[in-house]
Amino acid sequence: MADIVLPPGLTPARLDAARREFAGVVGEQNLFFDALDRDSYRDKFAIDDGAHKPLGAIAPATAEEVSGVVRIAAKMKTPLWPISRGKNLGYGGTAPALSGTIVLDLSRMKKIEVDVDNATVLVEPGVGFYDLYDHLRANNIPLWLSTPANSWGSVIGNALDRGVGYTPYGENTSKLCGLEVVLPDGDIVRTGMGAMATAPTWQLYRYGFGPAWDQMFAQSNFGVVTKAGLWLMPEPETVMGMDVEFERPEDLGPLIDTLGPLRREGLLQANPTIGNWMRAAAVVTRRSDWTDKPGALSDEVIDAIRKKFGMGWWGVSLRIFGREDVNKAIYPILEKAMTDLKPLSLKPFNWSRGQPVEANPAMGVPTTFPMQSANWHGARGGHIGFSPVLPQSGARAMDQFRQTYARYKEYGMDYQASFAFGERHLLNVNALQFNKDDPAMMARVDPFLKALIADARARGYCEYRTHLDYMDTVAETYDFNDHALRRLNQRVKDALDPAGIIAPGKSGIWTSAQMKERHA
Amino acid sequence: MSRALRITVVALAAQLMAGAAFAQDAAAPDGKALFHEKCAMCHGPGGMGTGLLARRVQPAELEKRDNLNADYVFQYARRGLGNMPPIPPGEASDPQLRAIAAYLAAGPGGRK
Repeated sequence: MADIVLPPGLTPARLDAARREFAGVVGEQNLFFDALDRDSYRDKFAIDDGAHKPLGAIAPATAEEVSGVVRIAAKMKTPLWPISRGKNLGYGGTAPALSGTIVLDLSRMKKIEVDVDNATVLVEPGVGFYDLYDHLRANNIPLWLSTPANSWGSVIGNALDRGVGYTPYGENTSKLCGLEVVLPDGDIVRTGMGAMATAPTWQLYRYGFGPAWDQMFAQSNFGVVTKAGLWLMPEPETVMGMDVEFERPEDLGPLIDTLGPLRREGLLQANPTIGNWMRAAAVVTRRSDWTDKPGALSDEVIDAIRKKFGMGWWGVSLRIFGREDVNKAIYPILEKAMTDLKPLSLKPFNWSRGQPVEANPAMGVPTTFPMQSANWHGARGGHIGFSPVLPQSGARAMDQFRQTYARYKEYGMDYQASFAFGERHLLNVNALQFNKDDPAMMARVDPFLKALIADARARGYCEYRTHLDYMDTVAETYDFNDHALRRLNQRVKDALDPAGIIAPGKSGIWTSAQMKERHA
Repeated sequence: MSRALRITVVALAAQLMAGAAFAQDAAAPDGKALFHEKCAMCHGPGGMGTGLLARRVQPAELEKRDNLNADYVFQYARRGLGNMPPIPPGEASDPQLRAIAAYLAAGPGGRK
């Protein structure tokens, strides 16, 4: 018991009483409160191993069990941290923001209901991308996933945290259509058309009647999502495109200014991601294969790695999906646009229905090998995300790149980043690779992150998603009208969850009474 | 789209999912089915775990190993090690993890 961290205000006696009641709902075998259990829910990539310590975990199997657990938690004042599968390791994984919070592990909720005719699915939070992929293939259902490159996570969790995929359905949160949510008082609500008990349109029309609430439960702590509808992409007739490499760092700006109009026009249906050399190289090689010098890699080492693997400084894969005639009309337009930029290399891609499908998220196939990048430093590697939102401007992206790259060098870190298109925005996703067995490096990570966040804020950029350590810091950067958004979030939180039971601190949202727990 | 996806193993989707199973909290844990449901995404062909293990041990796929100890597999999975994150009990219960460990420890020659 010595290693237990209790949340503010909870006594051991009340915790014991709560545990007995939780066991009455989910069964003793689905309560996990011993030391090994607790450790297994810690933040694998933590910068500070003393932070974000869970008190234990509860694993319900149904929405009704979730409701029962939440009602007890509200009565006994035991905060819960819902996770779907907890695989977003760069953002905190299974761990809670506030030490002493009980993880509400929804991994056992794995129901899948596909509507083949309408190309939709209703899933529970424990359904991973591999589970859904297996289900579709095993039943010969010609629908494709939109999956992130590291695909071991939950379909719902990814969409609710606004993760992305690489097909035309890649903005996963925008493909949500109807939720089932357990509110902080245990009430179960369905959004959109699901608010009508017999509606056959829950997964077909997002908005229902009156306010539409789906996004209220994304990146929030206003409820526990127990089911979500999602649109799936009908298998295309063909996929065509090209993989393009660019030689110089300064090629980034013109590339963005070329792709932006094509994306806004809709000629590119999927969001391209421009990745730097290390985003690709860290998957297939380790730093120690090239140098033993500390600090940021030199240009000479970077050039040697690029030469070995035939990589540009930047690279992008463009894919177009659909009818062969249409794709054949689009392809030469894209090819000319890229060729005009004088790339280092351009490799065409062509797939037709019936041909073998490569293991690639752009083809709707989940993968895990991109996470091999965690081994870049060998030993106990890890990464943390830094992901500001930019306009689709080559000049602004180059400015952001130059400043960020200078910070990496200042703090002696290797630069791994991408610029991922949305329909109107760019996400500058940085994966800060670190070595947990290098105390000197680990001591630099927190000031480095804070410098990056401050730099972005000075340019008017906020992050779209962040690690547990920085949720308050990032929320603070949303500062219009003296942080009116934070006040709104807090008013909603106070109204729905006055005891602060659901995910305290998620996205920097606390009840009025919990504000002293903020770290900003 | 990451270029890494073009550099590493290209596998047929059918191959990738061969033997995939869909067990859900089976009353009698089936180690093989559970391995494919919960582990093969990383430790099957083309997975992260296989790729990283291949840097220091052959064969890298756990199902092809004949020298795995059940207790070792259980502890490794539950505690995590190196670049592998811990697998918490909500994702794989103790009985399920022990069934997986026993399946792997039996080795390619010892399984039915």
